[in-house]
Amino acid sequence: MRRLAMPERVNWRARAADSGFVFHTIDGEPYWDESACYAFTMREIEEGLEAPTEELHGMALDLVGDIVASEARMRELDIPEPFWDWIARSWKNGDPHLYGRMDFAWDGHGPAKLLELNYDTPTSLFESAFFQWQWLDDQQSSGRLPAAADQYNSIYESLVEAFGAIARRLPRPFLFAAVRNSAEDQGTIDYLRDCAVQAGIECGSIAIEDIGLTADHRYTDLDDNVIGTLFKLYPLEDLFREPFGAHLPNAGTLLIEPPWKAVLSNKGILPLLWDRHRGHPNLLPAFFDDGRDALPPGWVRKPLHSREGANIQMHLPHGEHLASTGPYGGPFVRQQFHALAAHDGRHALLGSWVVGDRACGLGVREDASAITRDGARFVPHVILEEDGGVLEA
Amino acid sequence: MKRSRTVALLVMGTAPLFLAACSKESEVEGLYTSLESCVAQTNDSYTCGEAFKNAKQEAEATAPRYASREECVAAHGEGQCEARQAGSQSYFMPLMTGFLLGQMLRGGQTAGFTSSPAFKDRNGNWQRPAPGAGAGGVYRPGAATAMAPVAQQPDRAPTASRGGFGDRSGDRGAAT
Repeated sequence: MRRLAMPERVNWRARAADSGFVFHTIDGEPYWDESACYAFTMREIEEGLEAPTEELHGMALDLVGDIVASEARMRELDIPEPFWDWIARSWKNGDPHLYGRMDFAWDGHGPAKLLELNYDTPTSLFESAFFQWQWLDDQQSSGRLPAAADQYNSIYESLVEAFGAIARRLPRPFLFAAVRNSAEDQGTIDYLRDCAVQAGIECGSIAIEDIGLTADHRYTDLDDNVIGTLFKLYPLEDLFREPFGAHLPNAGTLLIEPPWKAVLSNKGILPLLWDRHRGHPNLLPAFFDDGRDALPPGWVRKPLHSREGANIQMHLPHGEHLASTGPYGGPFVRQQFHALAAHDGRHALLGSWVVGDRACGLGVREDASAITRDGARFVPHVILEEDGGVLEA
Repeated sequence: MKRSRTVALLVMGTAPLFLAACSKESEVEGLYTSLESCVAQTNDSYTCGEAFKNAKQEAEATAPRYASREECVAAHGEGQCEARQAGSQSYFMPLMTGFLLGQMLRGGQTAGFTSSPAFKDRNGNWQRPAPGAGAGGVYRPGAATAMAPVAQQPDRAPTASRGGFGDRSGDRGAAT
C-alpha cells in the first residue's frame, strides 16, 4: 500500500458536472481529491481486504439471529422495545438487504483491523463505484497509469445485479428517500436509483421530510400513494424515535435497509463480534462501556449510534487525548486503538464495500485527524504490481 | 479484472438517456379492493359500480383456470380459489380480490372508463389478465402465465399529516 502523488485530470470538474457529482467540494473544501492515489498490489487487495471482508460479513450475519432473539442483547444495543418483534420478524422473513461498508485500519502490513460496520446508511458510494472508476479509465487513456492497472471496484455491477435479484420482492411503488437539503445524501440516492432503473425497476424519490401518514397509519408519497418499498438513507434508530416512527412495524411498507440492520449498524456489534470470535486477526478487542471510568491509554470510546466520526474519544497509546464533538450520547463501546495508515500527517481509512453479500470494492478516505470525520477527502485507488511503472509517482 | 467492465449512468448527469422509467403513470387508473374504496377515492359511485360489475363478469372469462384446487392454491395461496363448472368440466379460478378502473377525465368529468379484474398471486403481488389473454374456453395448461403484473397500489389513501420524519438528523445529512 503506497500513497502516490498524481497529476489531476485537467477536466475533472467538467467530468463531475457531466455525471451530476455536485458535492466534490463541500463548504469550499475539496472532498474529491485526485492529487494523489493509493496503490495496492492484487495480493494486498485479495488477501488483505477482500477475503477478510467476506469472512467478517458472514460472521456478522451469523450473529443476527441470536441477537434479535435475545431481549438482553436488544436492550444492550439500546434498541427501543416496541421494535424488537418487528426487527426479529424482518430477520426471520429474510427481508432483503442491499449494501454496507466496513471501515478498516490498515497500512498493508499484518491483518486489517475492523473499526466498524456502516451497514445502514453508508455514503461515498457514487464516488467509489462510478467517479473513481472513471478516474482510472481517464488516467489510463492519458497514459499516466499503465493499461494493466486495475481497481478493486465491481460495485456498480454488483448493485445492478443485487437490485435485479431482489426486484420481485419489492412491493411497489418503490421510493428512495433522503434528507432534502443534504447534497451528499441526495447524490447517493440518485446513484442508487440510477442502478435500480438499470436493473429494470420502476422507482421514484421523495424527501424523508415529505413522507405522509394516513389516518390508518400507512406511509404515503406526495400523491397519496401508499409507499410499498422505501429505501431510506436515514438512520433506523432516528426513524424509531421520530413522530411517525411508532407506526413502522404495522405500516406495511418494506424498508431497505431492512429493520434487522439495526443490530449491525450499531457499534454494539463490535463487542458482540469480539465476544464470539475473541482473538480473530481482523477484530480489535471491544467491550460495552458505561462511559463512567476514565479511558485508559490505547483505547477509543464510541457511542453506539455515532455517525461520521462524531463524539469519539481517543486516548492514544503515548498519552495524547483526542475527542470529536457531535450530538450523540451514551451508551458506548470501548475498542482498542489501532492506528490508521498515515502518510505525511494524512490518515487513511479503508472503506470496504459489501453489496448483497459480496465484497466488491474499496473507497479510501483521508483525514488530517486520527478521527475520520465527514469532511474526510475521498482519494482514489489503483491496483498496481510492485514496480508499478508509474511515470510520475 | 477486479473492476466493473464498464460503468454507466441513466438517470444522473446532464444527458439522461431515459427518464421515463421513473416518471408517473399518465393514465388515471386506480386499483381498488372494494366498491366502497373506489367510491371514496373517485367520488363517482356510478362509474365505480359499472366498473365493478364489468370486472366481475370479465373475471369469469379471463381469470386463469386450473385443473385442480392444488394447482390454483400453489399459484394464488390458500383460501384464494373457488371451483367453477363449465358444461361437464370443472376447474378452479382465483377470487377476484380487486379491480382496476381507468378513467378518462375531461374537465373533471368522467368521459369514459375501462375496467379489469385483479387477482393476487401467492406472494401477494397484484396481477391482471394480460391484453389479449383470450376469454373463457377450456382449461389451458400454463394459462396462469397470461397474466400481467399490476403496478398500481391498491386504494390510494388520503394523507392525514406529513413531516413526522427527518427531524433528528435535520439538514446536516444523516448518512455515513
